Amino acid sequence: MCTGLPRTACPLRLIALCILLSHAAAYFGLTGREPLVFLPGPFANEAPNGKAHLKQCEQMTLTRRQKRLCRREPGLAETLRESVRLSLLECRYQFRNERWNCSMDGRGSLLKRGFKETAFLLAVSSAALSHALAKACSSGRMERCTCDDSPGLQHREAWQWGVCGDNLKYSTKFLKKFLGQKRVSKDLRAQIDSHNINVGIRAVKSGLKTTCKCHGVSGSCAVRTCWKQLSPFQDTGHLLKYRYDTAIRVHSVTNSATGETELASPRRHSNTVPRPRPTELVFLEESPSFCRPSRYSPGTAGRPCSKDTSCSSLCCGRGYNTALHLTTLSCHCQVRWCCHVECQTCLREEEVYTCKKH
Amino acid sequence: MAGAIIENMSTKKLVIVGVILLLFQAFSFMVGGLIAPSPTTAVHYLATKCVDTVKTHHKGSKWFMPWGPDQCSKIRDFDEATAKRIEANNIVFAVHIPLPNREMSAWFQFMLVILQLDIAFKMQNPIDDGALVTLDVGLAYRDSTLSEWTEMAHSIEHRKLSCNFTATKTSENEGRYYDCDLLPFMEVGSVAHKYYLLNIRLPVNERKKVNIGIGEIKDIRLVGIHQNGGFTKVWFAMKTFLTPSILIIMIWYWKRITQMTRPPVLLEKVIFALGISMTFINIPVEWFSVGFDWTWMLLFGDIRQGIFYAMLLSFWIIFCGEHLMDQTERNRFSVYWKQVGPIVFGSFCLFIFDMCERGVQLKNPFYSIWASDVGTELAMAFIIVAGICACLYFLFLCFMVFQVFRNVSGKRSSLPAMTKARRLHYEGLIFRFKFLMLVTLACAAMTVIFFIISQVNEGHWHWGGYTVQVNSAFFTGIYGMWNLYVFALMFLYAPSHKRYGGEQSSADQGGNSGEDIQLTTTITHVDGPTELYKMTGKEAQE
Repeated sequence: MCTGLPRTACPLRLIALCILLSHAAAYFGLTGREPLVFLPGPFANEAPNGKAHLKQCEQMTLTRRQKRLCRREPGLAETLRESVRLSLLECRYQFRNERWNCSMDGRGSLLKRGFKETAFLLAVSSAALSHALAKACSSGRMERCTCDDSPGLQHREAWQWGVCGDNLKYSTKFLKKFLGQKRVSKDLRAQIDSHNINVGIRAVKSGLKTTCKCHGVSGSCAVRTCWKQLSPFQDTGHLLKYRYDTAIRVHSVTNSATGETELASPRRHSNTVPRPRPTELVFLEESPSFCRPSRYSPGTAGRPCSKDTSCSSLCCGRGYNTALHLTTLSCHCQVRWCCHVECQTCLREEEVYTCKKH
Repeated sequence: MAGAIIENMSTKKLVIVGVILLLFQAFSFMVGGLIAPSPTTAVHYLATKCVDTVKTHHKGSKWFMPWGPDQCSKIRDFDEATAKRIEANNIVFAVHIPLPNREMSAWFQFMLVILQLDIAFKMQNPIDDGALVTLDVGLAYRDSTLSEWTEMAHSIEHRKLSCNFTATKTSENEGRYYDCDLLPFMEVGSVAHKYYLLNIRLPVNERKKVNIGIGEIKDIRLVGIHQNGGFTKVWFAMKTFLTPSILIIMIWYWKRITQMTRPPVLLEKVIFALGISMTFINIPVEWFSVGFDWTWMLLFGDIRQGIFYAMLLSFWIIFCGEHLMDQTERNRFSVYWKQVGPIVFGSFCLFIFDMCERGVQLKNPFYSIWASDVGTELAMAFIIVAGICACLYFLFLCFMVFQVFRNVSGKRSSLPAMTKARRLHYEGLIFRFKFLMLVTLACAAMTVIFFIISQVNEGHWHWGGYTVQVNSAFFTGIYGMWNLYVFALMFLYAPSHKRYGGEQSSADQGGNSGEDIQLTTTITHVDGPTELYKMTGKEAQE
């Protein structure tokens, strides 16, 4: 993959954003090239002069347009890192009991293909970026958030008059600009990827909750203000996992009227070309089993599993080893907000099941 | 009160007046829907977690900035704090209002902040029942990015947590968030400064059981609500335009009454009082809030609205009472104490409640009556009493309207048998009553319908290239509507001039004196019934 790019040095092993094959769209987050062995370190207390972000932008493998955006927006580099962290944690959590456990080892090969897993990676990455952008806006880390795109009015006047949009609208718009989604190539893979990225963005949008507050005379509802609120990213991850489970396989159909390639889902039978719904994740080819070590995953050998539920499927019928472990646990904890934990250590004998190699 | 303009007006003229009023009504809706932005804006703020180190103590400033040149040393999450052995008392949640590159303005009128806590579920650290969060909050302001922060308020506040966890409480679901209710946090009645800074601490004291059992707070989110500057400007413009119009019609109305030989009757006085209370709302004293830091403006606005509502409700009762057409003598305010009493008492309750909430907020912007148990009970008591009063009032009103209609139908059947003077008099009364009844019902229905639309709707509609702000249209439209209502009332129910016609002499009256006496006793006493003059005049001509 990424044959079009020279292998640039990535000293901090930050996010790799690269151009996949020859597609116009550039990817990011978990769909980057480099192995993601990092989790962002302590929060960057960037230097007051605001030049630190320029260095961070340089360290990331970005396209020229993305670099320009990154340089223009001081908080973006930090937000990109945060989004990778968010998507990785969520992906690992959602796939903890699956044969493919979101291991990043075979990611490069995985991303070249059109599996269900590829679809999930794209969707979760875009969802995390969308979520992280909205959060960064509300914490003041990003400077140009909502008022920039109001036409006709200067930023300041727009804010004072009161026509600025909300953070999420901005972040979706920005994301499309950042990923170059405006021009999707006719290539089937590019269309699938773009579709899946949009599924991720939609998942964040559909998780929005409208909350209202009444503040009229004596607190009555004569005056009421409503706002949309992001749901926790766990919920988005959960939704995307469901979309992954119900993903549909598509093939390409050439639209006879326009001569363009379109996505078509095989399931529905009707006269018109059945297009996948905008909420559905789509894939092109069946996934490998992920049981044995391959280009795509290290296999399930040695994976811990739970005896009653996941062992049978996880170990692919090879059976599991049972071992008795004496583990120390912290127990009878006294937890105080925020950061004070007093625990006793207990010893517990635990049976650990791990999948066999052969 | 008899012989109002509305009775003597030709249908054609009445239709013209109605059309003009409707045009103004449509205009007031359009001003809100097309020119003004939405009435309020909600801005999300995510608190930055600052660390209060010993170093920062020596620097002098005790305020923590979340971003910008003098930003504090931050931590991403509390795992980091645990690793660095930072104690809860040294963590400061900092929120700068507004977001970077913006500034607040006096046109925003008020600022309301709501607190939301992100609390993660942990098996070892669940939220206790009836957990109370203690917040040590400080609010500071400055007017330039370079100057020092000036403290505006500081307080220790308690808020009751009411959270529920939708998933099962197993270790599998650890880390998921509770679903917590919104907590009222702050209310400032004027936005006189450009920048505001909030510093929130959650001090922990194990011995005093402060902030124990509040779960694992991950983040503090605030939602800041303010009125949009554009809406404020449109609103002020509307008030500035409406004040003279109501004032002029009021003066004209009073002149007409004083021109009469008799003293004004109760109904005329009440209509005049309604005009005064409308003008009281209309006078755009809010212009001063742009220049002065008057935090009581919000409370003052509430009081003005309350007075108008009380006046309007009293007017309806008295209007019904004066049109009852039974044989009792009214025309005195004391007759209506039973009906007006609940209005006065109910509004008084709401006034006390408002003073307890917004009045105290003048001193401490973080105060909320709903935060404490006693306060909640007290507030509920006030609201319930006011609600009972409102129910009582509507029962009285409905009963009175029913009585009027019963009398009307009774009179209808006996109308042909009456003498012409009597008939004309009663027909006038019935028409006057029915007209007002119809208009009032239409206005009330409009208010209710628009209220529901604005509650259900998302706030704006797209029509082609136009965006219609439904909520703003609601506010300006309804405000304009009640202004027009009062305007129309004073115009149409002002005493008619036609009585001063030349043919009506006291000599004409003599022949019908028996009828006249009977009439004055049946209806509002001394006011000379114009219909009678008219009728006698006509009779004389015949």
